[in-house]
Amino acid sequence: MTRSTGLPGHRPHPTRVTTALGGLLTLALALSACAGGSDESTSPDSKSTPGASSAVDTLKLANAVAIDTLDPVEASANESIWLDQNIYARLVQTDPAGKEIVPDLADKWEISDDKLTYTFHLRPGVKFADGTPVTAQDAKWSIERARDGEDSAWGFLITPVTDITATDDQTLTIKLSTPHAPLLADLAMYAYAVLPQKAVEADKDFFNKTPYGAGPFKVTSLSAQSGLVLARNDNYWGPKPKIATVEVSIVTDDNTRLLQLQGGQVDVIENPPGNVLKQIAANPKLRVDLFDSTRVDFVSLPLKSKPLDNVKVRQAIKAALDLGRMNTLAYQGNAKVATTFFPYKMLFWDESVPEPVPDVAKAKQLLAEAGFPNGFTIPLIAVSADAAGQAQAVVIKDDLEKIGITVDIQSFELSTAYDKQRPGTNGMGMRYWTNDIIDPDEVATFGADGDGGANAFNSYWKDEAVSALVTQARSEVDDTKRAEQYAQIQKAIVDQAPFIPLSYAPFRYASGQWVKGFNVSPLGNYNDSLLTLTVAEH
Amino acid sequence: MGSVNLRWSRVANLLPVLFGITLVSFLLLRLVPGDPAQQILGNRYTPEAAEGIRKGLGLDRPLLEQYGLFLKGVATGSFGESYQYRRPVGELLLDRTAASLMLVGLTAFFCAALSIPIGLWAAVRRGGLVDQGTRVFFTLGYALPAFLIGVLFILVFGLKLGWAPIGGYGTGFTSHLGHLVLPALTLAIPFSTVLVRSLRASTITVLDSDFVTIARLKGISEARIMSRHVLRNAISPVAVVFGINLAFLVGGTVVVENVFSIPGLGTLLVGAVSTRDYPVVQAVALVLAVFVVLVNLLTDVVHGVLDPRLTVGVQR
Repeated sequence: MTRSTGLPGHRPHPTRVTTALGGLLTLALALSACAGGSDESTSPDSKSTPGASSAVDTLKLANAVAIDTLDPVEASANESIWLDQNIYARLVQTDPAGKEIVPDLADKWEISDDKLTYTFHLRPGVKFADGTPVTAQDAKWSIERARDGEDSAWGFLITPVTDITATDDQTLTIKLSTPHAPLLADLAMYAYAVLPQKAVEADKDFFNKTPYGAGPFKVTSLSAQSGLVLARNDNYWGPKPKIATVEVSIVTDDNTRLLQLQGGQVDVIENPPGNVLKQIAANPKLRVDLFDSTRVDFVSLPLKSKPLDNVKVRQAIKAALDLGRMNTLAYQGNAKVATTFFPYKMLFWDESVPEPVPDVAKAKQLLAEAGFPNGFTIPLIAVSADAAGQAQAVVIKDDLEKIGITVDIQSFELSTAYDKQRPGTNGMGMRYWTNDIIDPDEVATFGADGDGGANAFNSYWKDEAVSALVTQARSEVDDTKRAEQYAQIQKAIVDQAPFIPLSYAPFRYASGQWVKGFNVSPLGNYNDSLLTLTVAEH
Repeated sequence: MGSVNLRWSRVANLLPVLFGITLVSFLLLRLVPGDPAQQILGNRYTPEAAEGIRKGLGLDRPLLEQYGLFLKGVATGSFGESYQYRRPVGELLLDRTAASLMLVGLTAFFCAALSIPIGLWAAVRRGGLVDQGTRVFFTLGYALPAFLIGVLFILVFGLKLGWAPIGGYGTGFTSHLGHLVLPALTLAIPFSTVLVRSLRASTITVLDSDFVTIARLKGISEARIMSRHVLRNAISPVAVVFGINLAFLVGGTVVVENVFSIPGLGTLLVGAVSTRDYPVVQAVALVLAVFVVLVNLLTDVVHGVLDPRLTVGVQR
């Protein structure tokens, strides 16, 4: 913030500065007293058992990031995507554990023996929130819109799809050019939501007003990306939510969000600051919720930055890192030490890969074999606003110091940091990945396919055999063989270390004890938990 | 009070200034590294996808052409379409301006209510309790950054005492006002520091002048001297300080709006800068700059009203 006095002559006299400092101290004391006091002022916790309906029928959720758009094809902010899944139903969906595909609008489907034709049958009588029936034509139009739309970022997922036909009102046939194992997972993704074709086509502002689909909730008010109100959709095919309304507010400041929860102004907050989780948990009225996520933090070692082109140098760096200490310092021990670059416990995650153990002697030896017995100096690009990433960067610097490598940490604001990392010539970089579908095809393509446009997470590492495996696994419909192929891909990254997976970070939420049953799936969505969640008086 | 000697040349001078503002707000963010396509694609960045997005947004065209399109958007009031929100920027601005204007207005009100009585009192009772006490209080308020004062206020008045809501904006006019009291005070305290000090200084100068002594000798009551003779003369320089600082206040709202999560132009701007949403940043920068320019003009006019000897817009 900038300020001008306009009167340069009026500077505080030295003695008054001391007075001011004294005042500051008093204020700081008052502040800590306030913070402590709020923890103590506990009202008796009302542990009412959740009944058929919720005692308070509104859930208030404070998100950290603005809603960019509610058009599922265009949304790129995670928070918007998670909201989308409460509003728009898809043909199929992932189960709450994020492990398998379960029915949504389609209650059954058949896959032909050659795996090239999928036939979906819509539930009889299924309706959009406005009461109009959901037809196979709506589904066809929506999927084509997501695949071919100019503004859609997700068409690449289902490129093998050649033809989509609405055989009748309730039957949809999808034909493929080659077997495509992730198809059901792709169709369960938010971008492939089934939208009311007529309503969307009739109003180009549909998604800026009060959009609806066939999900458990519908939008009743959307105010300039600063907030959103969802109301229960009584036409939803499944179990009706116990709460009638969800109020979502956008509170970008971490401290303010937490204070709102402490004051009972909201019920659930996203991303409470990582360094105060213990204090939140110590407050008997509040609760810290950590959920397994698909987030994988990694440090990239791009081959274009010499001497990272030498595999022994990369392996030496990997051997020197103490990921356990990193987890303690960056996530207060709340994350898990990463083993492979696949998200934790997701489909085909190779659980046989052991946690890496730091071995400084081995690291030094590898470095000597590579021809750098005295180490070298290399930059590490980090994102300035990412507290956990900054802590990880410091641990990397400290660990590599032990084997003679001097790390020059360079922090930039997110957008600039990624710009610097992309060419691969500016040294190591702190990065992370999150999944949008439960199938690992996406992460394998972006992370291990050197021929893909992402250049293996911008590491510019390339292994023809691994690239071929990624393509094969995509078309492999036998799960045992697929698991085998993905295990090989994961092992290649473990051995070759074009990037080093560091931590599996959880999703962080904090909520009042008066909220019962808030749950987040590994993909980040919470629509399943909103069906059964209850809010007690508080 | 007489009419103001406002020369039209003063108004005409604004045109090149406004043109300069469009140029700076257009170029500034483009000079910063960071690619909107990267923001939109995130981890899914591939050169082909990014190329497609840049093309869709018109970022592949020559800079001059992009600038022309921006000017055209300004002229039509649509300001182009936001990359992030996929809506005309003009609509976003309309949604957001009211909250920011209310915040600035309420802050100005608090400033006047705080600084005029305190400034006068501090000048009359020089070195007294009020003078010393407010000096400490306001110096402290000036030294603390706005985000810290804001959080302190929330902690004390919102959480501890429950007198005010903890951030947010509410629905309906009275609710909006209620939500804006703490943020307006957060802004008003450092701002009032400057005003109290300058009002105190100018009041002391006036109090020491001959015509006040003469007025006293004539037996005019102290209250009448203060209101008719002293304040009238002392407030004129303060009005200029007020005008200049109102411009900085607009900058302050950006921080405070984020702390209190008020859906104003400031929160819109911060979000747009970090996502490289060029059309939104350009438009908000332009609107804020125009606001500052207009306030400066208004300051000159008010100064002219307070002191009719001045002619606004002539350089001597």
